[in-house]
Amino acid sequence: MKLKAVIDDREEELTVQVDGGRVTAEIGDRVYDLELREPEPGSYLFFRDAEVLQCRVDKADGGFEVNLRGRKYAVTIIDPKRLRGGQDADRHHHGLTEITAPMPGKVVRVLIEAGASIEKGSGIVVVEAMKMQNKMKSPRAGVVAAITVKPGDTVNAGDVLAVVE
Amino acid sequence: MFRKVLIANRGEIAVRLIRGCHELGITAVAIYSEADAESLHVRVADEAVCVGPAASTQSYLNIEAIINAAKSIAAEAIHPGYGFLAENADFARAVTAAGLKFIGPSAEAMELMGSKTSARRVAVESGVPIVPGTVDALNSFEEARKTAEEFGYPVMLKAAAGGGGKGMRLVTSSDELRSAFETAQTEAGAAFGDSALYLEKAIERPRHIEIQVFGDKHGNVVHLGERECSIQRRHQKVIEECPSPINDPELRRRMGEAAVKIGQTVNYTGAGTVEFLLSDATHEFYFLEMNTRLQVEHPVTELVTGLDLVREQFRVAAGERLSFTQDDVRWVGHAIECRIYAEDPSNNFFPSPGTITYLREPAGPGIRVDSGVANLSEVSIHYDPMIAKLAVWARTRDEAIERLRRALDEYQVSGITTTLPFFREVALDEEFVAGKLDTGFIARFNERRKVIEPPQEQLDLAMIAAAIDYSRHQQPVFVQGGNQIADGRWKMAGRQAGLRTWRKS
Repeated sequence: MKLKAVIDDREEELTVQVDGGRVTAEIGDRVYDLELREPEPGSYLFFRDAEVLQCRVDKADGGFEVNLRGRKYAVTIIDPKRLRGGQDADRHHHGLTEITAPMPGKVVRVLIEAGASIEKGSGIVVVEAMKMQNKMKSPRAGVVAAITVKPGDTVNAGDVLAVVE
Repeated sequence: MFRKVLIANRGEIAVRLIRGCHELGITAVAIYSEADAESLHVRVADEAVCVGPAASTQSYLNIEAIINAAKSIAAEAIHPGYGFLAENADFARAVTAAGLKFIGPSAEAMELMGSKTSARRVAVESGVPIVPGTVDALNSFEEARKTAEEFGYPVMLKAAAGGGGKGMRLVTSSDELRSAFETAQTEAGAAFGDSALYLEKAIERPRHIEIQVFGDKHGNVVHLGERECSIQRRHQKVIEECPSPINDPELRRRMGEAAVKIGQTVNYTGAGTVEFLLSDATHEFYFLEMNTRLQVEHPVTELVTGLDLVREQFRVAAGERLSFTQDDVRWVGHAIECRIYAEDPSNNFFPSPGTITYLREPAGPGIRVDSGVANLSEVSIHYDPMIAKLAVWARTRDEAIERLRRALDEYQVSGITTTLPFFREVALDEEFVAGKLDTGFIARFNERRKVIEPPQEQLDLAMIAAAIDYSRHQQPVFVQGGNQIADGRWKMAGRQAGLRTWRKS
């Protein structure tokens, strides 16, 4: 099957073929031929000759969380055969960045007005959650296109707090 | 010894205390909020009582409900753990008034040492040096401004009723003071119901070193040496060690004696911790505060001294003598503890609640995991985000660090973001390995921190694994676009056939 995968903000095309206990994969010009075992659901054990590589895969935020050798990777799989996947891929590329609440909480302060120019790392909104006040910062430089919350608002995880253009 | 004890806490510390009960043959009673009915601490308890809704003010902080629970189930004593009601003198009094034993110091000692301003007076009385600062709470911002000018910046604002870093702010210049003062007041009010603040001169590049003390009801007060807790974020500890990398027996003796003096002044009973700031340059130390409870980081002291602090707490509360004297205490080897928080270290340690979809904890030689979660546990926004503590012991600090790296690599938590990747980086950091620690460690570490790019091959394998997992759980293409649910064997067979074809495509 042919898929696209997004990892570390990079998009790659990959072809993966699982046939019994073997997996062959092509990513760009890199080719893998591995033995595959699944000791439990979500655990994938690759053998490349004698080398053992254990991957743990769990679903997370519409994508996958992969644990490998003490590191954690966020992978989004885009299946070109599926419309929904295609839309996800588009959202990745437009010029607006949404600042979202990473968890439920309460807006305590809004630090900036719509229309203001900001630097990467500028604080935009202060959200209180788990008894901690946390400054939500812009991941990029730009102009604040909108602030969608006001002090006192209760927000859920994923709610848009502001949009940076 | 008690026959039945109620554990007025949750999470890893409740599990730790229940283990202590079981070793002494005590029936352990857990309390839980409605959100916690399936929590690990309930599962390992012998009996459990629901004390209220998820919000901790209505459950784990609900004095009346907790005492009623203890009475209804005929418990003889209550262990408060740390946090929640552990340092609430009203709670200690209410427990005693209900005819139960409170496992901790007297309400009087707690009150004296619980307010930072009166604790400082006790230190002065005991002949122990304190950091220059206000003895009484500040009445206004104006007073804060004047005092700060007097001491000179940097200064530290602290909640008078505080602990755990809440309501605490470092202020480096006068223009930061007002915003810091207001935020600290709000935080202090929300966390402790008391927004009073006081102010101290900030010691530059201080080490945070604390001494474990223990007293019994027969007039004995001893110390169990130091813990180095300099690695902190937002003034909360994340890594603790015993002994301090300074490892100076003479300094340990002097600090230990100072801590014991404070304990004697307030007739301290049970486990307590006297915290000091130590100037790295001069090895001068200043009394900071006393925590009148079992500390989060008590395992490192247990690993190095071989003593069981929870067992001693039960003994002391039951009126027995401490099972050891000062001369019996020996320090062997080195222990390091990492607090595993459900927080994102790459986003300023922002809390990351959620469901743990997969959990694999490390094991093997010299490893101790005090965990409050299990596979599929829900890490709720209602409570502290610390999910577990990983402690390692080895003969030397270098060996302990090697063991820590190994244990961190074994540790897997999926579904939530944790501080594990941060600890993996710290365990490899040169300054950490050299033991050059002070409370500014994390800020400097974040600046010099080089993001080590993972090898391309690992990225590729992660993508391949995700793609395989995707294919395993994918609906076949032909049902896509509608929401029809396949029912009946023919449809099911058709789906499976479709899936087989699709996997090969």
